[in-house]
Amino acid sequence: MNIAQLKENEVAIVECFSTVDQLIKDRLMQLGIYPNQEICLLRKLPFGGPCIIGTCGQCICIRLYDAKGIEVKKK
Amino acid sequence: MNATFALIGNPNTGKTSLFNALTGSYQYVGNWSGVTVEKKVGTLHHNMGTLVDLPGIYTMNPISADEAVVSNYLLEEPTTPVLNIIDTSQLKRNLHVTIQLLERNRNVLLCLNMIDVANERGIYVDNNRLSSLLNIDVTPIIARKEQGIDNIFHGLNQLHKSTTPLVLYYGSIVEKGITSIEKKLSDLNGDINTRWLAIQYLQGNRQIENKLSSSNCEIAKIRDDTEKQLQFKEGNITLAYHIMNVRETFIQSIVDQVITIKKEPKVFMSEKIDQIVTNKFLGIPIFLFLMYMIFMVTFNWIGFPLSDLLDVFLTDMVAVWFENVLAILQVNPFIESVILEGIIGGVGGVLVFTPQIFILFFCLSLLEDSGYMARITVVMDRFMQAMGLNGKAFIPLIIGFGCNVPGIMAARSIEQERDRLITMVMLPFMSCSARLPVYALFISVFFKENQALIALSLYVLGIVIALLLAKILTSTTFKKEKSLFIMELPPYRMPQWRTLWRATWEKGKGFIRKAGTFIFGGSVIIWLLTYMGPGGIDVPMDESYLAQIGAYIAPFLAPLGFGTWQAASSLLTGFLAKEVVVSTMSIIYAAPEVQMQGLLAEYFSPLTAYGFMTFILLYVPCLATVAVMKQETHSIKWTMFAILYGLVMAYIVTFLIIQCGRILGIA
Repeated sequence: MNIAQLKENEVAIVECFSTVDQLIKDRLMQLGIYPNQEICLLRKLPFGGPCIIGTCGQCICIRLYDAKGIEVKKK
Repeated sequence: MNATFALIGNPNTGKTSLFNALTGSYQYVGNWSGVTVEKKVGTLHHNMGTLVDLPGIYTMNPISADEAVVSNYLLEEPTTPVLNIIDTSQLKRNLHVTIQLLERNRNVLLCLNMIDVANERGIYVDNNRLSSLLNIDVTPIIARKEQGIDNIFHGLNQLHKSTTPLVLYYGSIVEKGITSIEKKLSDLNGDINTRWLAIQYLQGNRQIENKLSSSNCEIAKIRDDTEKQLQFKEGNITLAYHIMNVRETFIQSIVDQVITIKKEPKVFMSEKIDQIVTNKFLGIPIFLFLMYMIFMVTFNWIGFPLSDLLDVFLTDMVAVWFENVLAILQVNPFIESVILEGIIGGVGGVLVFTPQIFILFFCLSLLEDSGYMARITVVMDRFMQAMGLNGKAFIPLIIGFGCNVPGIMAARSIEQERDRLITMVMLPFMSCSARLPVYALFISVFFKENQALIALSLYVLGIVIALLLAKILTSTTFKKEKSLFIMELPPYRMPQWRTLWRATWEKGKGFIRKAGTFIFGGSVIIWLLTYMGPGGIDVPMDESYLAQIGAYIAPFLAPLGFGTWQAASSLLTGFLAKEVVVSTMSIIYAAPEVQMQGLLAEYFSPLTAYGFMTFILLYVPCLATVAVMKQETHSIKWTMFAILYGLVMAYIVTFLIIQCGRILGIA
């Protein structure tokens, strides 16, 4: 499953970035989101808007498309 | 002492707050990724030398244009000592930059900022242990409260130039690659650490690649070989990921030794606020409501009453005082006329609007410093995506409401060149504070009832025209690339009065300074052009040079409803700076502001006044904006495009407003 399929406030572990754009992938890594990292989907905005994910006490906002490209497994 | 220090750290770590505390210079603080758009230099207290404030970075490898500034600086200044500031509650992520700095050299002082925030979250860091593990000085501080600042000065004094850099072991394959590259770089002279260069190169740092381009093909081959060998051994991982992973492991081992977590994380204030302001349904209404409030405060509630007071002061006291003094001195009529009509009329006409401009800058600073600005990007991203852009473009656009010049500079934080370019071209349509005096003048004459609403409609019109441009560009020229969006949301922080005041004053000061220089000079020249004509000096206004110049252009403006030479020459002078339009009008309609309002009512109707304001909003970016746009886009073509698109849109939109208005029977 991917991040976009999580429910709000659900925690999961990142498995891999499948279809994420390279630039976004680089930035996610810099922000500390990479395989085996624990993340939490905080909020999904309506009309296909962005997702806010939390990890290690920080909030990061990515687009739904990219959220769909990040494979996770539920904890 | 003439030392120079560089301030480096992640975005949102309080870097700019620390800069303010250390230098006492009026530096502008922001709370969203990328506020520091260019390198800024301040003079340190205690005569310690200078401090260079660099944009925030997550790692040395730059993605956006402002991050490249840091890599470049580290390359060009290999021996400059570094003050590395980190957010204590995000120690692990922040240490990536620290490690890369230490791999360069150990001439680094580490500041653990926001220890109070970290402690609140139950995170406690053992400074001494961290200091001995990294073998550098570590100073805990709270930059916003100016705690621990003296220790930094002490620490900076203790920095040694000749310490050995940190060496991490990257595994035999990568180490071999590093050594081979270092050999190729051995003829590179200077103080630069070749191992650091080699590691950065292997990691794919584009800025370093450019620097090493002379020996590029050989070292590029080494990098490819290294990556292949690594993948053969480790499986499908990239070299960059491997290097990051080695650092991550090292950092984790440090973090495990220095951090104690004393309580379980709970829901923080920031998250509670975010649940409301980035709420599914309330997010956009809250944003629009806040913008509306800013307009009400700027125009209706506080701005206009203050502006009126200032006007009374300027016309009844200052102008009268000058008149009396000039009468006592018995200066000749020419000088008297220059001072009273030219300078006091022109400069005073603009200065009257200082309150509105300060209030607007204050509100914008409040948005930035509190951290709400980052949320705007989130809330607006879906909408911007529909326009083919990303939410981050919204920040430069909102900053552009203050002044287009810093807006264009702020576009540097947008990662993609495509989005950045489009944002820059859109910026002139953001109604800057310099256009505000023009609106304020006309609104106070024609639209007394709905001041904020009329002003808001102009701002919205500007945004609509800008979005239209974005939509056109993203569905034609830039159709192939798509926009991307990723944004860190910094925690909300209580804005500090001092910071807000500094930021407001820093930006508002520019307006006053401009009034004292540009507008002062412009007013004198414009006055001279009205005073002189082909018939000699002291001619009637209608026979002056200015009237003649204006008369050439006026016919083109006739379809827009304001085909008078007065309007034409005001618009012409507005290219220098938009406020000059008001100065010019003050001089042309030859009266202090109060009487001018009566005169304006003769020349304009509410409809043509609205048309005129629309034209001012759209027609051309001011001189300073054109210059910075040329500098930031590196393209005359795009700069010209921005000017022409503005002119064409201004003409079409104003024409439509006037003609539709006439058809609808509005005078």
